[in-house]
Amino acid sequence: MAKILDQAAENPFWFHECFLMSMPLGKKVANLKELLEGLREIDESVLFYHLMQSRLALGQPAVEYPNDFALWAANALQDSKLAEKLSSFDPFEYQNLGLVRQAVVDILEEYLWDLPFVPWARPGFEFHFCQASAVVMHSLISAQTLKEFCAALSKVGLDSIYYHFFEARWRLGELKSDDFSYWIETNFGLPELVTAIRNLDIYFYSLKELRETLQGLIHQHLGELCDHPG
Amino acid sequence: MITLDDYAPIVGEEVVGQLRRLAEHLQGRRFVHINSTSVGGGVAEILSWAVPLLNQLGLETRWEVILGDPAFFEVTKAFHNGLQGFKVHLTPAMLEHYRQVNRENARRFSWEADVVLVHDPQPACLIEELRPQAAHWVWRCHVDVSRPQLAVWRFLREIVKQYDASIFSMSQFAQNLPHPQYLIRPSIDPLSEKNRDLTDKEITAVLHHLGIEKDKPLVLQISRFDSFKDPVGVIQAFRLVRRHAPCKLVLAGGEATDDPEGAEILAQVQEAAQGEPDIQVLLLPPEAQHEVNALQRAADVIVQKSTREGFGLTVTEAMWKGKPVIGGAVGGIVLQLRDYHTGFLVHSPEGCAFRIRYLLHRPEMARRMGQTAREFVRTHFLITRHIRDYLTLMILLENPGNRLIEL
Repeated sequence: MAKILDQAAENPFWFHECFLMSMPLGKKVANLKELLEGLREIDESVLFYHLMQSRLALGQPAVEYPNDFALWAANALQDSKLAEKLSSFDPFEYQNLGLVRQAVVDILEEYLWDLPFVPWARPGFEFHFCQASAVVMHSLISAQTLKEFCAALSKVGLDSIYYHFFEARWRLGELKSDDFSYWIETNFGLPELVTAIRNLDIYFYSLKELRETLQGLIHQHLGELCDHPG
Repeated sequence: MITLDDYAPIVGEEVVGQLRRLAEHLQGRRFVHINSTSVGGGVAEILSWAVPLLNQLGLETRWEVILGDPAFFEVTKAFHNGLQGFKVHLTPAMLEHYRQVNRENARRFSWEADVVLVHDPQPACLIEELRPQAAHWVWRCHVDVSRPQLAVWRFLREIVKQYDASIFSMSQFAQNLPHPQYLIRPSIDPLSEKNRDLTDKEITAVLHHLGIEKDKPLVLQISRFDSFKDPVGVIQAFRLVRRHAPCKLVLAGGEATDDPEGAEILAQVQEAAQGEPDIQVLLLPPEAQHEVNALQRAADVIVQKSTREGFGLTVTEAMWKGKPVIGGAVGGIVLQLRDYHTGFLVHSPEGCAFRIRYLLHRPEMARRMGQTAREFVRTHFLITRHIRDYLTLMILLENPGNRLIEL
């Protein structure tokens, strides 16, 4: 196992840094019906922001809800049942953002269908649509071997974890893949580790937890020689 | 002089390195900030540290302050109140005076710039005179404009829409504007006199100097004497707490040169506190940053019971000092305080009283919340993140229409 840890990759892994600038649209909705209508019309970048990017823009110290829609249902509509439904929804189960949009629309539509009234947000807690622009640049951190890769995971920022795990899925066009597992697969094989990384429940974790979970996973597969968050 | 490297022990070497690498792409850019006061208030504070650091990073950054007479600041205070939802009356003569003062200030500015960041409404109108002097004009709004008075916003919107972009502290404040809008959260400087670590001796000396005896748990609100900060509501909350738990209240506030209402509100607060020896009302000069720091560190519970708030940097400061904070559920305070994690949000004097009691009776919970709050601030609300946002914004402005820029 020590041998594979020190084996040089054909292509080194360059960690990227990703700086998001949130861009509010100046459009808000005050009740669930308006949200449903808004979701049908908004640009996919807006959907992507509220499902994925917002965790990098302002990651909360404790994750109660994995996306902005669930958080809004809980805090603004004070509707725990809807918040639960929106929390258990996983965008990575769909092939593209069009299908993701349809899935969220379906959840809201079904929910509204059964309700005798339209839930309204508390005043001042309307849902505000946002999107983001990003500047991405090479960090100074790269890894030639798996051992270096493990060590680097502790050094890079959470923006890097976000970029290689979340942004990558849309960039690569494969929702089940990510930059980390792709690099390991193409340079070292290691099918069990690759599958384990791809099976991570990434939507559930905060970025910090995700980093620790990934380190733990590599440790589990490659043994003591790899740094473990401890 | 404080250098960028001094922040590395606080935020990590990698964060400082990131700033340097981002700034490499912006060397020599001319960046001008314009606001209306050099002392007092959050904007002046942010600029006092941001400008030197941006210069250290190789951007030619300058800070201009517009001048105005009392009548001008009456108008801009009315803008401020109107933007925050209060009914105000603006006459054509007042609006013309506002334009006139901006025109006079414009004559003093001969610089040319790549990016001009104009803070708040006071200098917003400069763009009408100076547009050709800069490639990109960005309007930075620091106030809570979630529900502005229509007449005020209608007037300002005509000015703001001439800009290339605008920046708000929260998405709730964004407006229907014809240009890109960005979110940049404000921040605090952990090395400033207001936020640096203090020794117990330094804290005790300040308490002694201010005549505060720490014989009971201390509840504190630090903020300007402004009706939106609801100091009278804090006194009401304190009186409710006092029935159940011994404690004392300190209300300490500074004055800003661009706020003509401060004296009136201070008088109301002093009246409300009359006859209560456990309430101390302190009017602090803008330079009393060391005193504010010591008061926050001496406090057991810190309150910011605002009814409107752009962001609430006093909340950020208190969180950075590891204190449990109770804040009004408005504006940027909602972003910072998460119930039971980083603080408590309240909606009334009664709610505020209840949470003060909760924290006074549960010191271990208060300690844990304070620690979580400090780490939250470290990640999101320190100046290094703010500088990073400025740099990212400048790169985005130079690449209009491009939502993903790979350097």
